[in-house]
Parts: sequence; C-alpha cells; structure tokens
Amino acid sequence: MRFLRGTFADTTHRLGRRGFIALAGCASWTASVRAQGLPVIGYLGSESPERYASRLAAFREGLADAGYTEGRTVAIDYRWADGQYNRLPALAKELAGLPLTVIVAPGGAEVALAAKSATAKTPIVFEMGGDPVALGVVESLSRPGGNLTGVSSLSVEVSRKRLEFMREVRPTASRFAVALNPRSPTSDTQLKNLQAAALSLGVELVVLKASAEVEFDAMFTATRDEGAGGLVFSSDPYFAYRSQQLAALAVRHKVAAITQSRDFPLAGGLMSYGGDFSQSHRQAGRQAGRILKGEKASELPVQRVTKVELFINLKAAADLGITVPLSLLTSADQVIE
Amino acid sequence: MKRGAGPRRTSLFRKYFATLFAAVVAPLLIAGGSEAWLGYRDERARLNDILNAEARLAAVKIDDFLDGIREQLGWTVQLPWSEESGERHRLDALGLLRQVPAVESLTLVDAQGRERLFVSRIGLNRIDSRADLSLRPAVQGARANGAWFGPVRFQGGSEPFMMIAVAGNRSSVGVAIAEVNLKLIWEVISGIKVGRTGDAFVLDGPGRLIAHPDINLVLRADEAGQRPFQALRGAILDRPGEAATGRDVAGETVLAAMAPIPSVDWSVIVKQPLAEAFGPLYGALLRTAALLVAGALLAAGLAWWLAQRMIGPIRLLEDGATRIGAGQFDHRIELKTGDEFERLASRFNEMAAELRVSQERSQRIDRLKRFLAPQVAELVDRTGDDSVLDGRRVELVVVFCDLRGFTAFSVRADTDTVIMVLRRYYEVLERAVNAYEGTLIRFSGDGAMVLLNAPVSVPDPALRAVAMAGDMQRDVQELLAGWRALEGRLGFGVGIAMGPATVGGIGSEGRLDYTAVGNVVNLASRLCDNAQDNQILVDLVAAQAIGAASPLVPLEALDIKGLDQPVPVFAVGTHGTQPAK
Repeated sequence: MRFLRGTFADTTHRLGRRGFIALAGCASWTASVRAQGLPVIGYLGSESPERYASRLAAFREGLADAGYTEGRTVAIDYRWADGQYNRLPALAKELAGLPLTVIVAPGGAEVALAAKSATAKTPIVFEMGGDPVALGVVESLSRPGGNLTGVSSLSVEVSRKRLEFMREVRPTASRFAVALNPRSPTSDTQLKNLQAAALSLGVELVVLKASAEVEFDAMFTATRDEGAGGLVFSSDPYFAYRSQQLAALAVRHKVAAITQSRDFPLAGGLMSYGGDFSQSHRQAGRQAGRILKGEKASELPVQRVTKVELFINLKAAADLGITVPLSLLTSADQVIE
Repeated sequence: MKRGAGPRRTSLFRKYFATLFAAVVAPLLIAGGSEAWLGYRDERARLNDILNAEARLAAVKIDDFLDGIREQLGWTVQLPWSEESGERHRLDALGLLRQVPAVESLTLVDAQGRERLFVSRIGLNRIDSRADLSLRPAVQGARANGAWFGPVRFQGGSEPFMMIAVAGNRSSVGVAIAEVNLKLIWEVISGIKVGRTGDAFVLDGPGRLIAHPDINLVLRADEAGQRPFQALRGAILDRPGEAATGRDVAGETVLAAMAPIPSVDWSVIVKQPLAEAFGPLYGALLRTAALLVAGALLAAGLAWWLAQRMIGPIRLLEDGATRIGAGQFDHRIELKTGDEFERLASRFNEMAAELRVSQERSQRIDRLKRFLAPQVAELVDRTGDDSVLDGRRVELVVVFCDLRGFTAFSVRADTDTVIMVLRRYYEVLERAVNAYEGTLIRFSGDGAMVLLNAPVSVPDPALRAVAMAGDMQRDVQELLAGWRALEGRLGFGVGIAMGPATVGGIGSEGRLDYTAVGNVVNLASRLCDNAQDNQILVDLVAAQAIGAASPLVPLEALDIKGLDQPVPVFAVGTHGTQPAK
C-alpha cells in the first residue's frame, strides 16, 4: 500500500486543500485509483464477497487471460447486495453514475436485469443461466445489439434433467418436490419445463416456493410431509449461493435433493447438475477484458458455456439408503465417496 | 585562362570519379540485386512449402477431431439390438456423452431405422420411442457410407452444430447419430500456431466460418463479416497449391495456404502475417541494402580518393605550368607520386630551369644590344652565346673620331640646332659602324669610339676600319659642308690604331659597359686628336696589316704623350698633310 499512499499524497498535493476535502468526502480509495489512470470495472454482486469468493477467483483468472490484473492494470469498484436482491437496482444505479469502463453483473438474470435498467450507456457483462434472448437482456446471441453481452450457462435449461436424475435415484417414487424462487425471473419458464418433464416421466410434482433463507427449512419439511421421493431445486443463484446451508438442511432432514451447484454435494448434499460456474465466471472475465481493450459489447456474441456437470455424493446416498444406479455413475463428472 | 581551365578540370574530375565509382558500384548492385531477387524467390518457395505443410497438418488435426468423434460413436454401434441389450446401449451412450464433451446428444437407431435411445445433456432422455428415423438423411447416409457428416447449422443463430452419424459394420447394430457442438474445435484450432503470430481457421463448403482462434467471430455467424475469409479462400483457389496473399479480418496482409478436409467438404486455411513471414527475408534484404550502401560509400570514398590522386597532380602541374608561363621560372612543382606524374613534374621543373637560364641570357643580350652593333647583337642573339663579352685579350683595331671646332659652334648655336646637328652626326657614324660590323663603344659629345674585331671577330679588321673611317669622312664632310655656314672652322678627324688590348664587360651590377683597355686605345685617341679635318691617321701596326690594300701615305713620326719615342703615323689617301702638332 506504500505505492497507493504515495499516489494519494501526490494527488492531494496537486489538488490542494479544497481538492483534498472534496476527495476525503468521496470514496477516497476509488478516487486515488482513478487518479492512477487505470480503467475501472464496476462489479455488481448479489451476495457478499465471501459467498462470491470462488466466482471472483474465476473472474480474475478470466481477466488475467485477457491480460489484466486487478490493482495493477485495472481497478475494480465493488457493490454488494448481500443477498438482498431488491437492493440490486439501487446499487446498479450507483455504478451507472460512475465513470466506469465496464460493469460486470454476474450471478444470474436478476443482476443482469438490474444493471440493464440502470444504464444503457456503460457496457455491461453479465453471467447468468437461462436464455438471455428470452429474458430480454440481449437482442440476439450472435449480435447482442445494446450495451450488454456476457455469458450464459445451461443451468436453467437443465433443471428438467435434475428431475430425471432424481427419478433415476428414486425409481419407485411417483411424487417429487420442486423448489422454486418466485422472485427469480426464470422461475416461470423453469416450472413449465419441469411440469412438462414430469408429464413425460409420469410423475407428480409438489411445487415449493422459497425466496428467503427462513423459508428453506419449511421446504425440506414439506418434502418429507408430502411423501415426495426427493427435492429438486430449480436453477436459481439465491439457492446456489446457499448450497452449504441447503446441504446441511438436506442432511438434517434426510431428504434426497439435487441442486444446480456442485457446492451442494461437496457440502454433503446428494447430487448436483448444472453449468460449471468457474468456467462461466472466467468467460465473463475474458469478455470484460475484451471490452476493456475497446471492443463493443454490441459486437461481442454472448458466450454459452456448454459444459454441464453431474456431481454425486456417494456418502450422502448411503446415508439416505440410496443405491446410485450404474447409469448415473457412468454419467457423473465427479463422484464423491 | 583560369576561367577557361576551371570547368574542364571539374569535368575531368567528375569523369574519373564517375568511372571509378561505377566500376565498383555496378558489380555490387548487380550482385546485391540478383541475390535479393533469388533470395525472395527461394523464400517465397520455402514459405509456400511451410504454409502448405502447416495447412495439411492443421487439416489433419481437425480431421482427427472429427475422426475421434466418429470412432467413439463406433463403440456405440457394436452391439446388436435385442430386448435385453437396452441397458447396455444406454450405458454405452451415457459413457460416450461423458467421454466426448462435444457431443450434446446421441440417438441410437436400430436395424429397422427406429429410434431406440436418445440421451442428451440438456433435454430429457428417451428410451424406446421407436420413432421411425429410417428416412432421415443421417441414417441413410451412414448406412450407405459407414459414416455421414451433416451440414453445419448455427444454433440460435450463433453456435455451430453438426450431425455425425455412424453405422455399425452389421446392419443389426444400427446407427448412432450424434449432435456435435463444433465450438469445441476451438481447442484444436487455437492450438495451431503458424510462425509466431500466424493461425488457422476453418470454413465449411458454403464458406461459413466454423472455427477460428477468436471464437467470437464464429459465434457472430455474420455473413458480411466473413467475406474476408471467403476472399482469402478464393485467392488460394485461384492458384491451387500456392500460398496466396490477402487480407484477414483485421485488414492485415497475410500469406495463406489451404488444405481441404474432403469428408466434410471443409477448408482449413492457415495464415501468417506477410510482414512476419517475410521477416527473415526483409532482414536479409535490409542487410544487403546496408551492405550496398556501405559498399557504395566505400566506392565513393575510394573513387574520390583515386580521382583526387589523379586530379591533384594534374592540378599541381597545371598550376605550375601557369606560374612558369607567367614567368615565375624559379617555381618548382613538388610531386612525389613516384609515377608518370612525378616524371612529368620533373620535366616541367627542368623546363622552368632552362627557361630561367634562357631568360637570364636574353636579358644579358638585351643589355649587350645597347653597345653592340645591331648585326653583332643579332649574332650574339642568334648564337645565344654571350661569352664574347667575357674579358679577354685580343688583337684589336680601335677607331676614334671627333669634330673640330664643335665647342665654339655649340656656344654660338642655339640648343635645338646643337642637338639636331649631333643627331645627324651620330646617325651618319652609326650607319658606318653598322656597315662594317664595328662595335660602337660610346659617343661622347662630338667624339666616338669604335672597336673592330671585338667582341665579334671580323676578317681584316684594319682594312675594315680604314674603309669605315673613309665612309665616315665622306658622309660627315657632306654634313659639314652644310653647317660651315654656321661655323667656318668645323672639321672631322679620325684616328686608327691596332694592337693587343683587353676587352670585356666592365662595370658594377648596376652599370655594365663593354670596353677596351690598352695602349692601342690611347694611341688611337692621340691619333684622332692629331688628325686634321678630313684626315684619317693610322698607326704602324694597322698600316702593316693594311699593306697595299689601301693607299697610305707615311707621315712624320709623332710624339705621343705617354710614349718615349715618336710613333710612326700614316695618313689614308694618296697625299698626306702633316698633322698638327
């Protein structure tokens, strides 16, 4: 920090007293970074830096792929919603008011949409599951058109596959619970997909809704009470970022559950099937890097991360008295024993 | 003269300089130029080979990617379909999805062409739908050829996908149809590097971009944006087997070669920026150019030096010649070149020395002319020999003459008349002296002293002297006849003596006179003093030398001042009058 302090001192010296007072009034760190002439990325996170830690690491790798290092060749100005998604629009507006080179809005459609409504000028790189065209984020995948481009993973599209995998684990069950976050912009699409899948699989769905942590416990209780074979989580970042919590609940309630995030089986949950977030966040970093280099968001096609990974926790399966069929083990990208 | 010489000198220098310079630079240029041209041709051929090899290698890699998928698919069409084989097929199919990330979904079709299994990463799996797929081109194509590659489609207008179908070696094992995401070729294509910054890309039959290191260009699926790729392919197709130059998407000029993948009708094109490809050649050309420039500079320096060496002596010679021509005969041309120039310079110097000698001589002769009869002077001039003026002792005839009564005349007459009289008198004397090749030593007032036989020898000097004196008397008497009206006592007498005397140039540096010293001079002078008007007195030696050649009348011996005994005297003529004492 000696370097930064030096720059800061220089800046204040040059600005004089009035400048210093004004500077002290502002977010002084960002101001001093800007004084160094680095391009600045505005980073809008829906959760806390701790929950985003692995995603941030992947994002920084992506920036490094494009030749940027935080603090040295690029500065990042963070805004965190700490799980309160209704704060996103205000935070996005705040970022939109800053002279940023690009806003990165990763972690789902809600973040992307909040950023989109905040500015039509500053380029925005999103990272989300679901179809960005259907959600109205971009005009087309090949030519996004506006000031947004980004990365889309297949997480939302594959929620029906989760039901299929759960069915394979519990072939005898005829009822399955589905967890939805009603606040998610993709919940309707996912529910339709799941219902269609249930129809073709010949199973009944129990739809459970939760949009806050306090409602989690009730979902697991309801799954058991309804006699459902398992709990299938729809793709939703709110759920994904709380995989540890959900895994703990699943273990406590002895409920077979599948989510989109590998963090869930890694924390003791049964299974996960979804896009590889480290890949998608890394891609987002690369996209941001290309915009920093001067490319237009409207010209950068939306990148789809096609990799979808299946994680299975055999210990959880054993605890639940489940024998994982060979077909699942064959398909699994990682089997946790 | 300087003005005239200036341009000529410059042009000679230029000629020498140009010739010498051209002599060195022309071969250098020819060698450098031909080397550059041959180097370019070789480099072009080498690049052609390299790029073609790279293109073939890249095509093999892309082909391997497709072949890998085809081979993997082959494993799913090993087992014939039966009622019990469903689970085995399912596991094979799931294993394939796990193994081959590019395959997004897989359909297995039985011998009758019915769909028995569909597994997907995204959609729901289907088992035994028994949908009739037997008329699908994939099934028919695979059955006909063993393997079938469908056209490339861009899913969502962005991601390139292709169907690959493989039939087993027996009809009972059916056909496997895979939906392949071609985006994964990116890993192959981005691994291909040509040179330092060159890369490769893949176009399908219609010219759509399937794979490029910048995946965005593929995902953009933009027809207009892909024209440069098609143009590049067109340029290569125009001259098959040769690397072509063209522009890539960034507008950079590139050298590109192509190799086809016949099974899918794709073209793999490798390209390298022209600047990089020809980098070594440009380096070599630059070196050659630098050498040429250095060589030319050296040649110019050498030519300058040589021309200077040629022209320098010539200028020195020219300058020397100018100075010598201007009369600086003591100027010497300093040239130590050890060649013809030095020889020429020494010739010039010798010439200058000779000129100096001859100038000195001519100056001396010019001086001599003042007291030599013109004939004598001319003789000395012609022979170029002024040694006659050296002091020596010769047998000499001395003639003295003067006017009588001139002093009284000069007092009475006005100055102009005196001068006029003397001028006429001198003219008459000079004519006579010249006529007989005498040497007029001096006029002094109304007298004159004339030598014969010195400095130029003449035959019969005594006789000549008498004849000369006779002429003088005759002409002077004619003059006197006119002037006696002014002064009745005017007269003219001559004395001639012969004997040895010392003659030569006598005098200081500032004034040199040719004169004679000896008794004979005194004698002649006394004889003149004693001669009466219209009388010519001759001494004994002269009279003896004359002999009978001229009539002489012996007179009484005269007492001469400075001589002990009286001197015998003769008068010229047939009658004699005793001279006054």
